[in-house]
Amino acid sequence: MKRIYICQDNITGLFSAVYDAWKQRRESGEAGIAFRGSVAQELFCEYVEVAESEEKAIAVENLIKRHLGDDSYWDLYHAALSADSDKGSAILGTMLEARKIPDSRKIMNYLTCPHVAKVFELNRRVSNEAHYFKEFIRFKELDSGILVSKIRPKSQVLTCVAPHFADRLPLENWMIYDQTHGMFVVHESKKNWVLVSGVQVNIEKLDRYSDSELEMQRLFKGFCKSISIEERCSYNRQRQHLPLWFRQNMVEFEQ
Amino acid sequence: MFGTKVLVEWEGKDEIMRIQEDMSMYDKLNILTDAAKYDVACTSSGVERRGDGTGMGNCEKAGICHSFSADGRCISLLKILFTNECIYDCKYCINRASNDVQRTSFTPDEICRLTMEFYRRNYIEGLFLSSGILKSPDYTMELIYAALYKLRVECNFQGYIHVKAIPGASAELIRRVGFLADRMSVNLELPTNESLRLLAPHKNRKNILTPMRLVQKGMMQNKQEVAVYRNAPRFVPAGQSTQMIIGATPESDFQIMQVAEALYKKFELKRVFYSAFVSVNEDTNLPANRQEGPPLLREHRLYQADWLLRYYHFEAAELLDDKNPNFNVLLDPKCNWALKHLETFPVEINRADYLTLLRVPGIGYKSAERIVKARKFAVLDFADLKKIGVVLKRALYFITCSGKMMYPTKIEEDYITRNLLNVGEKLPDSVKEMSFRQLNLFDDVNFYKEDLREKKRRIPAFEQAAL
Repeated sequence: MKRIYICQDNITGLFSAVYDAWKQRRESGEAGIAFRGSVAQELFCEYVEVAESEEKAIAVENLIKRHLGDDSYWDLYHAALSADSDKGSAILGTMLEARKIPDSRKIMNYLTCPHVAKVFELNRRVSNEAHYFKEFIRFKELDSGILVSKIRPKSQVLTCVAPHFADRLPLENWMIYDQTHGMFVVHESKKNWVLVSGVQVNIEKLDRYSDSELEMQRLFKGFCKSISIEERCSYNRQRQHLPLWFRQNMVEFEQ
Repeated sequence: MFGTKVLVEWEGKDEIMRIQEDMSMYDKLNILTDAAKYDVACTSSGVERRGDGTGMGNCEKAGICHSFSADGRCISLLKILFTNECIYDCKYCINRASNDVQRTSFTPDEICRLTMEFYRRNYIEGLFLSSGILKSPDYTMELIYAALYKLRVECNFQGYIHVKAIPGASAELIRRVGFLADRMSVNLELPTNESLRLLAPHKNRKNILTPMRLVQKGMMQNKQEVAVYRNAPRFVPAGQSTQMIIGATPESDFQIMQVAEALYKKFELKRVFYSAFVSVNEDTNLPANRQEGPPLLREHRLYQADWLLRYYHFEAAELLDDKNPNFNVLLDPKCNWALKHLETFPVEINRADYLTLLRVPGIGYKSAERIVKARKFAVLDFADLKKIGVVLKRALYFITCSGKMMYPTKIEEDYITRNLLNVGEKLPDSVKEMSFRQLNLFDDVNFYKEDLREKKRRIPAFEQAAL
């Protein structure tokens, strides 16, 4: 009978579920992964709760890296961050499929397999979204000198963008707040970044800006206005490149 | 201060100092951004550099756009002029010496502050610094160098810097600036020497190509240095680019593409940019201010063809020739080429080599790569192609999967053209509604002084009689 593994919607949970399914030598059609809180009940299935642990997740990470290679690992990792409810089954299916082909490291080229195609698509979607946020994140300086950005992403992109900003702003204290998933990336000057979730923050404190902040915002708004050429104005083209969804926390689009 | 020169002669020194102090950073930024906006080369690509942990900034190979302005163009770099004063009088330029516009200059400190503060808020990817010519090319280049030195060394800025090499500046100065910048560019401005002579009387082809050659040689030399000493400073690591103004002079698309191709081959440019002419000055040598605005569709077609040259192994002579010197406005250059070469189609997706796949409309270079990789595992059909990212509505007339077309189609130029136009891109109204209309003396206003005379000569006898 098909067995559905139920876990939390995060990397540790998902990889723990993969660990259990893998351990029990389930074939592709016989196992699925669903997320707690969003399980759509099916007939002729049994449901198992997964005991999640860091060790299981690390074991799966190593398994993927060793057999499928680093590149495929990042593809699967990105797919695991997406907001799609079928991502677990697609990732498991891809890993099971990789056992059947001669060179498992080339699994991501095997696009005719529906699981691989799904992972490919999810990876593309999440990487694209992460790239959008590298572009459109706007930091605001608080009176304490800390740079803060609020975003509302669809996928859990924080771990994708954090290394980029840690490399770019190593001497700054900064923080990115993912409002959709209630998570933070916090970076302290000259230290590594950390991912924080499940904590309460004083939101009011995040709205106390420094004096120079408002001046810089004004300058940048002016810059954006004067850089555009009136004769070429095209609202549609602007929206095509910069969808309204991303504009909610961008300085230059605030009234 | 630099910006006061014109006023000195008019009013007296005290007055000028006051005016200078009064001009706020906001006003200066607006004036010098407004003056720089017609330069199109606003990319931050071409160099991958991690931060070293002691300053601020890094660079991504693909470049990052940070915003999009109301005209839909990307804002990647803080695009400003050092000063909008200029001793040159190029006819098409808003900053030409004979124009009465408000003049001002930044100081190196102001440039550094703006760049650093914007960068740490993730507004921009770096600095794009251009300038009007103040006193002399060397003097201007020296000022630019001072600003860049401060930014790179004192502020420890490691982000992207794009800087203009000023035609006529000395080789030594260009070399020094090249070690601080990521990308340098010299604007070719107009495709032919005759046009330059007409519209930019202070510039000439030789003056423009000299710094271009200097940068190219510097890059070649630097490559060898870096091979021997891994930590040797990099000279213009993101390469150089240039731009041409489209539509101010009567050159054909074919001429423009040939110039671009020569620049890619002979000068190893990374990019050639095309800038649809926006009429900002009234001048007898410029096209009159046309109602339909800048030739955006033409610019778009040139960019499409430019990508075909750089990524799709096309050559300019394949896309256009002397008989058809301009691009088809209705179809993109790749479709247009395919329709003229129907004898090579349809191609079999599961067997055709990479270069053949690249020439199929609807298949991009990434999809072509994926097809080549994926067909090693299984035979591909149309549903797979869709997942891979092929645009089937364009590709279906030119491909087969396992010997079958998607559905029966005629391989006929008229038939395919009709169908492609039905599903094709959105074209501007002026093109869509293009049809026959009443001949009018005041239509099609390309009032060139020289051009008109030439046209007169070419008018056939029977028409002249009618006139």
